Amino acid sequence: MDTQTASLLLRRARPCLLAFAAYVVTLVVSLRMLAHGVEGRAAELAVSLSPVIPVIALCVCIVRLIRGMDEMQRTVQLEALSLSFAATALVTFSYGFLENIGFPKLSLFIVLPLMCSFWALGTFVAQWRYR
Amino acid sequence: MNNRIQELRAERSWSQADLAERLEVSRQTVNALERGRYDPSLPLAFRIAHLFGVAIEDVFQP
Repeated sequence: MDTQTASLLLRRARPCLLAFAAYVVTLVVSLRMLAHGVEGRAAELAVSLSPVIPVIALCVCIVRLIRGMDEMQRTVQLEALSLSFAATALVTFSYGFLENIGFPKLSLFIVLPLMCSFWALGTFVAQWRYR
Repeated sequence: MNNRIQELRAERSWSQADLAERLEVSRQTVNALERGRYDPSLPLAFRIAHLFGVAIEDVFQP
């Protein structure tokens, strides 16, 4: 990737990075508040779900980022997302079957990082195909 | 699909980045088009032909 394209991509991805940074900050604050105890069930629910707000912003940023891409880049992303969807389904289903024979139960929180990792890998593979 | 994008671009002394800017696509897309790794949509194919001022069949051959 040349520097001009890299800087353009970084500029377009900046809102996504900001939304992700906001998510990390909100998550840390939320966890600390919950650890110290929050008065009332409603407040506890609100604090617990507060990291979802920057995640919504992140989703909007990702959609805008993909809409701003040209047709080949969108094809690359479609292939990458298809690969991540299929690979995540394969891994989570396989592990679910292993849980039936005593493997430790894993948190649902593992699914998104797994899918994002496969998405990054899929983007690399799909871009390589069109080089 | 074969195409003459690289040849037509060279005739005009444009770099891949110049062509990418004129077509409003990334330089990687221009590179993939020239190498025949990616077949463009019909609207993009028409934009390419229009930019070079030739008929679409003069740019792309099956």
